[in-house]
This record gives sequence, structure tokens and C-alpha cells, in this order.
Amino acid sequence: MNNAGVWRLALPLGLAQLLFFAAPLLILLSTSLATDENLTQGSLRAWREVLGDAFHIQSVLNTLRLGALTVLATMLLAVPLALVHMAAGPRVKRLILIVAVLPLLTSVVVRTFSWIVILGREGVINSTLVASGLATAPTALLQTEPGLILALTQIEMPLMLLPLIAATARIDPSLLDASTSLGASLGRTLGRVVLPLALPGLIAGATLVFASAATAFISQSVIGGGRLNYLPALVWQQAMVVFDWPLAAAMALTLMGSVLMVVGALNLLGRNARHA
Amino acid sequence: MLDATPTNLGHCLDMDGVRVRYGQTLAVRDVTLSVAPGEILALLGPSGCGKTTLLRTVAGFIQAEAGQVLVDGRAIDHLPPGKRGVGIVFQSYALFPHMSAAQNVAYGLEARGMPKAEIIRRVEASLAAVRMESFGARRPAALSGGQQQRVALARALAIEPAILLLDEPFAALDRSLRLDLQLEIKRIQRRFGVTCVLVTHDQDEAMSMADRMAVMRAGVVEQVGPPTELYDTPATAFVAGFVGTTNRLHGRIEARDGAGYAVRLDAGATVTVESPRGFDLGARVMLCARPEQLTLRPPEDTDPGAWPARLRLSLPLGPALIHDLEAGSAEVKIQQPRHGAPPPPGDVRIAILPGAKPSLFSEGDSA
Amino acid sequence: MSLINRRGLLAAGLALPALGARAQTTQMTAAVYPGGWDEALRAVLAPRLLQQHNVAVSFDPLFAVDQIAKARAARGTPPFDVFVLDPGPRVSGMDLGLFETFDPARLPSRAVLPTGYADTVGAAVAAQVVGIAYNPQKLPKPAGWRDLFQPQYASKLGLTGFGTTFGTISLIEMAKALGGSETNMDPLFAELRRIKPSVAAVAAPAAMPGLFQQGQIDVMYTNTYTVTLLRSRGVPIAFAVPESGAAAFVTSMHIAKNSRNIAAAYQYIDAMISTPVQSALALDPYFFVPVNKDVTPGADVPMRSISEITNFVTHDWSRINPLRAGWISRFNREMAG
Repeated sequence: MNNAGVWRLALPLGLAQLLFFAAPLLILLSTSLATDENLTQGSLRAWREVLGDAFHIQSVLNTLRLGALTVLATMLLAVPLALVHMAAGPRVKRLILIVAVLPLLTSVVVRTFSWIVILGREGVINSTLVASGLATAPTALLQTEPGLILALTQIEMPLMLLPLIAATARIDPSLLDASTSLGASLGRTLGRVVLPLALPGLIAGATLVFASAATAFISQSVIGGGRLNYLPALVWQQAMVVFDWPLAAAMALTLMGSVLMVVGALNLLGRNARHA
Repeated sequence: MLDATPTNLGHCLDMDGVRVRYGQTLAVRDVTLSVAPGEILALLGPSGCGKTTLLRTVAGFIQAEAGQVLVDGRAIDHLPPGKRGVGIVFQSYALFPHMSAAQNVAYGLEARGMPKAEIIRRVEASLAAVRMESFGARRPAALSGGQQQRVALARALAIEPAILLLDEPFAALDRSLRLDLQLEIKRIQRRFGVTCVLVTHDQDEAMSMADRMAVMRAGVVEQVGPPTELYDTPATAFVAGFVGTTNRLHGRIEARDGAGYAVRLDAGATVTVESPRGFDLGARVMLCARPEQLTLRPPEDTDPGAWPARLRLSLPLGPALIHDLEAGSAEVKIQQPRHGAPPPPGDVRIAILPGAKPSLFSEGDSA
Repeated sequence: MSLINRRGLLAAGLALPALGARAQTTQMTAAVYPGGWDEALRAVLAPRLLQQHNVAVSFDPLFAVDQIAKARAARGTPPFDVFVLDPGPRVSGMDLGLFETFDPARLPSRAVLPTGYADTVGAAVAAQVVGIAYNPQKLPKPAGWRDLFQPQYASKLGLTGFGTTFGTISLIEMAKALGGSETNMDPLFAELRRIKPSVAAVAAPAAMPGLFQQGQIDVMYTNTYTVTLLRSRGVPIAFAVPESGAAAFVTSMHIAKNSRNIAAAYQYIDAMISTPVQSALALDPYFFVPVNKDVTPGADVPMRSISEITNFVTHDWSRINPLRAGWISRFNREMAG
């Protein structure tokens, strides 16, 4: 098929994209630049309030930090699991895949509320710690950043594990034999062969986890609580409770922009990893 | 060792009663083989015969259930692959795709903690030995199949292995490239004096590369010896069939005749064949004759050692002519030097070329 | 499934279109709070409406704020015919002109409502009584709002902000108890800042019952409905009426501007306040506080009839609403970190 033919085929989809994706974004942008949602008058008030306010800037940083830490935590768990998957026989492989996908079959809301049961003052972790004598009093886990990261790690795990496993599964097993036969230790084989080759999967996973954790509205508000401020909850609050749509729009665009920046950086890293 | 001076200080490899089991099945059944210093031994056989399993056992990727692998008389079974002094060229070459050719070659040297300057010197020498010195900076993806194979060879040789294992090294290459590379590898191997085991399912490859061949079938070595010996005097009908082309002619032992037997062929001739094996009178036998061991006779020929057939087609193949014949229900192929025009199709007779020594096997010897 | 059942279903399936042909069924859409309200109105109200008035209602489960947002976004073409709203969003809806003018005379059952419960804006359909909920196995009964700032309560307290009606009026009551007023939150914020390091949780309103159930918090401010519901699930919880009095507000229904089913909407609201529906809704598992004078509220509700609601603390939402955005933002900032 010639180029023009491809264009003609892609055109309807392209127009639909424009209509359903670009247009709402444009409305969002113009709302953020107005005094109210009817766009009666232009104003930079909303943007001044978002970017000129230490509280809002701190919320942006909190959100990005939450995404980054969740990425690190999921990596820490997913990498060993992917290695086990790589080394395991077909039955264990299948088991790991099922375990990896299983969380996706329950809704985020259910998973989030289950974490209240686990992290609470009288939850599974605290009763275990106190009963075993490792702690004398319950530790605060719920409504803390570490607790939220712990929960998000479980919730977002499939997004890290699946691309990673897809990448490690593509590694030719004879590369590992080659490395071993050339005298490399297990550590060297992992560090010099497996990880570099799994890097595209790792970056894809990091991108998904970051974007998802940074915008995990339900988990952030239910597990994180009111002491931790993240942009998604602030956007919801401004849009749905306060009805300050320009401010909500400016915040939403700030959230989108900052997440896109990180995702873009990861993408660049991924492209280099493929070529490196 | 990588420098121009050739060495003959090879190492010898022994497999002594090696047995490998996969679950319920024995993949390798008590194989005993010796490879002399500097020799190339080819493990030849159909897929699933256990040749690759045997190779991976020598490499240390698989633990034998019984038996030993010895290098220069010392057992290496307890050693991990990296400590066995074994270099491997994999079927897929297994080059690290994210490293340059030079980095691939350096990999084993770095793992050994060699000083940087020494690594650089050795990488250059290894790449030069396989004539890839100008491709050191390239990634495997930017190299052709043949070039990748040379880099894989350089990587395996850079660690100065006592034993070089080649696992189907030419399987992924174009047929036209194979002969050149086979000769080149043989040349390099000779220069390095490294003892070598080659796994292949391709008899031509084994014939052109190997000093000796071991034909394997169902985990057992059927015959081991120089390629010409296996070709000329196959020990079993399987070897006769697997190494080279063979015509199977069925018949019955009619009489003992000095060093051989008079065999009454089902096709209607009585031929005299020498055989080191003993047969009872009246036993059913199978005569395995190479295409070049048979000859065409005119239809009016009256020799009792000739039998009737119909010539279907004659194909000129370089200096030779291949005749395709039908003798009763059997198909027969005959190869002769080409003199003049090929004969017209039609009725002919077939006879064993005088002086040719076809092999005789009991008919029960399955193939 | 037995053969007979299958036949029965088949017969019903065949009968349905016939039923539709015999008498034209009116279709309407009503917004309803997700969860308990949705379940209750589907089970109790919808069948009665169909039976009495041949009106088939489909529900659109939306929180009050979502109803306002959706109606606003629709800009003149209402996505549903009837709103159900708490006082705060009700005032927002009035300000935004989202409602048809309401005529109480079109409610045949209007006599069951206390005076003033149906006006030109809409009609009250349920009440909520807000006070303090505590775990009687862990804490003594608090006397009033001030007690929540004592160390023994503060360390077990779950705080939620001005995002909901019950949260807003509870915090206003606390402000009043601490020397502030309906419009002056300064004393409240000063005290919140003081106890902030020790409070057990600052949470989204939807998370509060879960936190209480899990023992993360042992005292919170909420409505009697939540208390009754949690206790029916075996959670040790009791309702305490503060010494300044429990606060009450009503949830009301309103007809959407430009609705095409105004007659059906009045029938829907009338059925909602009727004695049979209000009686059924007051019972397990719905635990609504009835606005119908003839229906007795459940045991947790500190009144024997809606007529007593005049004894409860109420609030002027037309004064609260303009200040609320500022309080929400201030609460976020004060509670951060």
C-alpha cells in the first residue's frame, strides 16, 4: 500500500483522536485560563494560585515523589521475581504469571480497602509485630507515606512485573550459558547480561507504575489520608466540592505536565537503552 | 598462544561411561569416547539422539547421572562451566546483543579479572585471528551471520580453552557460506591446536570438519572412527544410511564363499560380498551399496551377478552422472563418472562394480 | 433452574411487551446516592412507583457534588429528572438555577411532612442526625464536642474536612463549642493545629467507617445511619448526643430544570414521602431517618418523631456555602505533613 493509502486509512482514527482527546484538553486549558467555567473572562488567577503557592508546589513534589518511590519499591520486588520466573520450570512460570495478574482481577477500590485491614492500628502487620514481641506498641502505617507506598507497591505490581517478564522471557537462554561458560559469576551474569537486556521492560514498567501511582486517586486519599496532599485529590476537591473549575483545570494540567515530563524522560532513557 | 606461533600442546578429553537421564528417559546411555589432543571429533546423529545433551554435559550445564568427563586425565565433573577450561560456540552464537564485538570477546577475560591492557591486547589478537579486527566496535546486529560466528569463535578462543565445543555452528548459515567457514574454523583450530568437539546433524559438515566422527542414535554411539572408515565400512545399517547415501538391496544368504557370502538378491541376481560379520545359511540379509559401488550394464548382459532394472532418469551433476532406477519395487541410485551423453531411459541391468565392497547386514538390523 | 422457573421467566418475558402496550409506562430518571440509598430506593420506592403510578424509574447513582457537576456540565438538558441533595449542594443548586420551581400542592401526601419541609425549591425526604460516634469498649461516652480535643479522645480521633455536609456541620459545631461561630473557624483551626500530631487519622469521608471498623480510630463525627449500619455488622459503636445538642439536616429532592417528566417527578417524590415507603426505609437494612410525622425513627436516632427536629441544631447554608471553599483549602493546608 502506498503512503497516501495509509494516510487515508488512518485519517478517521486521527480525526477521532483529535476530537475525543485534543478537544477536551483544549477545553481544560481554556478553562484554566478563565475566571469561571463559562469562560466569560480570561485570567491567570488559577495558574498563579497553583504555581505561586508553596502548598501547591509541595503537593506537586509529593505526587512526583510518591510515583518515584513506588517505582523503586516495585522494581525491588519485581526484578527478583522476574529472575525466578526466568530460571523456573513451566509450572512455576505459570504460577508466577497468575500471581502477577491476579491483583488485576480485583478492583483497585477493593485492594485499597483491603490495605486498611492490613495496615491499620489493629491490622495484620501491627498485631503480628506486637504479638511476636518485635514492637511494644502499634506502629503508624496507615496514613503515612511508607504505608501508602507499601499498598501502592502491591496495587501497581502487575504493571511493573508484566513488561519486565515480557522482556526477560525474550532473553535467549543460551546467553546465560555463554556468560557462565566464559567464567562469569551469577552476579556478573545478572548485572552485565540480564539486567541490561531487561532494561527496556524495566523502563516500560517504571513508566506505567509512575503514571499510575502518581494519579492513584483512590489509594492516595483512602490510605494516604488528609495529612498527605497529592494533586489528584486536590483536583477532585476543587472540581467537585469547591466548584472552582479554573483552579481544578490548572491543577489537572500541572499534574499531567509533570507526570508527562517524567514519563518523557523515562522514554528517552528507554530509547538510549535500546541503542546503547 | 594467540600469537602466530602454532602450538601442538593440545589437551585430551575423555568421556567415560557418561549417562544422562531426563526424567524417565535416558538421553545418553553410558557413552565412552576419547578425543585426542588437537583432534576434532564430530558427534553426528539425528535430532534427539543425545549428541547435544552429551556436549552440554561436557560443558557442565548438565550433570551426568553416572560416568565421568576427564580433561588430561583429571575429572572435571565437579567444576562449574566457567572453571572447566571449555570454550563454546553456540548454535545461535549467543553473542551479547548489547555489547560490541570487542566487548563480547573481552567478556570472559574481564570475568577472569585480567588487567585491562592485557585484555585489550588479547581482544585484538583474537579478533585478528578470525579476521574481524576491523569490526570490533560493531554490535552483533550490525554483523552478518558469518561475521557473528567468527566473533563467537574469537570469544570462545580468547579464554584459551583446553577444549572447544561447537554446537551446530553452521546450522544458521547459508549453505554457500558454510564450506568457507568450515575450512576457516578448521584452519584456526589447527593453528591453536585446541581439542574440539563438534555437534552436528549434517553429515557433509562432519565429513569435511572432523578427524573422527561418532554416530549417535538413541543415546548410544553406534560407531566412531575417521569419516572415510564410517563411509566405507559402516558398522550398522543405521550408520550406512546416515553417513552418505546407500541403496538397500534385500536378499538371502545362499552360500559361504571364501571370505564372503553368495547372496541371492530378491531382484534376481546372485552376488558375492565380503563381510566381517557371520551369517547363517538361508538368513535374510540387507546389502547396503553406495551409488558409486554399482554400475549399469546393457539389457542383454548375461552376467548372473546382474539384475534387471528400468532407467528412469540420468542427471549430470558436475563431473558425475546420477542414474535413477527402478528394480522391482526398489529404487536404486547409481553414480558414475560422466563420459559423453547420458544413456536413454529404458531397460538396463545393474551390477556391483568390480572391486567395490558393499556392506552386508542382517535384515533384522533395523535402520 | 427448574423447568417451571424457566417457563415462568419465559412467560414473564412475553408478557412484558404486552403490559407496555396496554398502559403506556412513563420513563423517568432520578439521581440517587450510591450505596445504601441506591439499594433502598431500588428495592422500596421503584416497585411502588411502578405499581401505583405506572412510572418506571431508572437510577443514576451520583454523590451530591457529582449531581451538581453533571447537571452543570449538561448546560440546560438535565441528565436526570430528580436531584437528591444535602443542604450545601442544595444551596449551590439554587444559586446555579438548576431546579424547577417546586409546588408542594402537587404532593398529595404533603400533610405527613412537618411545616416548611416542602417549599418552592423542593421537598425533604429524609433527615440526618449528626453527632459523635465512639467505641464504648475503648472510651467513655464523650460529653460534647470539646471533649474530642482532650488527649484521650484526640489520640483516637478520625478527622475529616469540610468536603461533606456532616463533616462541615460537625466542624462548625466544634468551632462554636470552642468560642467561634457559624462563620468563624479560627478557634477550631487553632485547636486542630494543637492536636494534629496526635490524632489517629485525617481521612477521606468515605474511608471513615472502614477506619473505625478496623480500630484505627475509636471516635469520629458522623450520622446515626453510619452508627446503626456499623453496629448491625457487629462493630462496637455508639452514638453520643453532644451537650450542645445533635445537629440535624434534611436531605431533599428537587426537580431538574427543563425536566420532561415533571408529573412523574412529583409522583416519585410523593411516593418517597408516603408512609409505607418511609416506614420500610426506616427499617433494617436501610436505617433511614424518616421525615414522615407518622413514622417512628429507629432506636439510634435521638428523637421519637421528626416533629422533634426543631430541638436540634440546624445551620444556615446560604451563609456557610460562600465560606466553605476557603475552609476546605485551609483544612488541607493545616493538616498537611
